[in-house]
Amino acid sequence: MRPLVLGGICLCLAGAAQAADWPADAAVDPNAQNRTLTPRVVVNSGRLEWEPHKRDLTPWPTLSHLDRRATPRPQQANYNPPLRGDPARGREIAMDPARGNCIACHTLPGESWPGSVGQLLLGYKQRGVSDAYVYQQIYDRRVTNPNTVMPPFGTLGVLSDQEIRDLTAYVQSLE
Amino acid sequence: MCKVWNETVLALLRVGGLLAAFIGVAWAQAPAPYRDMDLPMPDYEPHVRGDMRLSKTYPYWRDRSRLDWRLAGDPEENWKLNWKFMDPPFNQSVHGGHFALERGEALYKTLNRDGRFAACLGAGRAGLKGLRTRFPQYRQDLGRVAGLEAVIEHCAAAQGEVLQNGSYDNSAVSLYIASHSQGMPIRIDVSRGPLKEAYERGRQLYHTKAGRLNFACSSCHTRNIGQLVRGSRITTPYGDVTHYPVYRTQYFLQSLHLRMMECNLDTGVQPLLPGSQAYTDLEVFLTALSNGYPVSVPAERN
Ligand code: HEC
Ligand code: HEC
Repeated sequence: MRPLVLGGICLCLAGAAQAADWPADAAVDPNAQNRTLTPRVVVNSGRLEWEPHKRDLTPWPTLSHLDRRATPRPQQANYNPPLRGDPARGREIAMDPARGNCIACHTLPGESWPGSVGQLLLGYKQRGVSDAYVYQQIYDRRVTNPNTVMPPFGTLGVLSDQEIRDLTAYVQSLE
Repeated sequence: MCKVWNETVLALLRVGGLLAAFIGVAWAQAPAPYRDMDLPMPDYEPHVRGDMRLSKTYPYWRDRSRLDWRLAGDPEENWKLNWKFMDPPFNQSVHGGHFALERGEALYKTLNRDGRFAACLGAGRAGLKGLRTRFPQYRQDLGRVAGLEAVIEHCAAAQGEVLQNGSYDNSAVSLYIASHSQGMPIRIDVSRGPLKEAYERGRQLYHTKAGRLNFACSSCHTRNIGQLVRGSRITTPYGDVTHYPVYRTQYFLQSLHLRMMECNLDTGVQPLLPGSQAYTDLEVFLTALSNGYPVSVPAERN
């Protein structure tokens, strides 16, 4: 038994130590503040140039076979009422491609270019769904639907607790 | 005393040995880290006609000489043509891809002055004719499966020349080589050996969720064919590779691996280097889905 337990501990430690590391074949500049690189093709050159990407993507798992980091499993959100969310701020986050970008998949009122992947997010004002339910869907919908295409915004650290509260208030305000 | 001491040492050694052995085994066979998968995986057929079971658009684009131009004029319907109407010979006008082709020819002729470059690429008696249709392939010299651009980089390096995978000049040479297979169908055999293994890994990777938004390639390219994503209609993954490297105004010349980097970056996934094993596996998978489809270069895509 003892070696197994010890082995388990050693492996966990090794795993944790690696968790911060992206794989060796990622397009990364380790010394830059924003480490993710995007390629720039230079005409009549045998070298590929690189520029910093607008966002650092190194914290999340890649497709590399060398990537030993696990994707976080579905997580129950730790939601505490009261909601204290601002629907106007929530709407901004929902429309912002760099933050929620809910508009890419959901049809939301007042947008001329609705996405066609998701579904209508309407009628929550009348439906009487709990804030905790809506919060959980944004935090990690995999708990409700393991095969969802909707990103687990909370579990992956894409949106903060306050941002999810604002979005919940916004969704709950939709007629 | 001594006996106890010895026994303790022995016990420690045994534990230590077991521990080392256990860690060794665990490292060697460390289970793959947890990933969400986009399931179920469709029953892809490693031939272009497999699209009949996926998007069912194959009848609209299988025969390039009989494309239905009424669909092309309809923004709701033109995705069914798989956008091949963008590619020559339907676009006869001169574009950046033609200049790249000239550059590729000049580079190739310099590299191949003594015939060593062609030999390294694996061109047999037929020369460059048909060479493109047999990539990716298992390479004895590299000890792994490699795409044409990776092999160009390798064979240029053997002569002391730098043609980095993904660079303009590398893609230009690739384009020139592909032009000798113009109209010839892609033909890679993924039914056995290292290519089969790469195909299977590529198929898995295509359905593996990753990155900031936890998307898989298939989240868009298999589940949402015909849907609008970021203002573009998603087309079937069948028949994708035969017009690569492709001329794009933003990238000038874009190899397939650079296209994967672009899709990764667009969906919040840290991209990998061109020539990485994961991209090569995806390339094998996508190339198998183009089996039987003719090479068409130089092509232009928006
Ligand atoms: C990649 C597409 C996508 C994005 C981006 C997305 N969603 Fe969703 N969302 C879906 C889909 C699809 C469903 C329903 C089916 C499913 O789970 O796959 C859903 C379900 C929901 C639900 C649950 C509906 C119900 O009543 O059960 C809520 C609430 C929701 N989304 C809110 C949001 C918010 C807020 C955002 C932005 C932070 C967002 N979604 C971003 C695709 C998306
Ligand atoms: C958020 C959606 C999305 C995801 C996820 C995505 N792509 Fe794309 N991809 C697109 C769109 C949109 C296009 C342009 C339209 C088209 O050609 O279908 C495209 C185009 C392509 C093309 C060019 C097709 C051609 O004929 O020129 C390839 C190849 C490709 N993607 C591969 C991948 C791979 C491999 C992955 C996973 C690493 C991936 N994509 C992930 C949206 C996506």
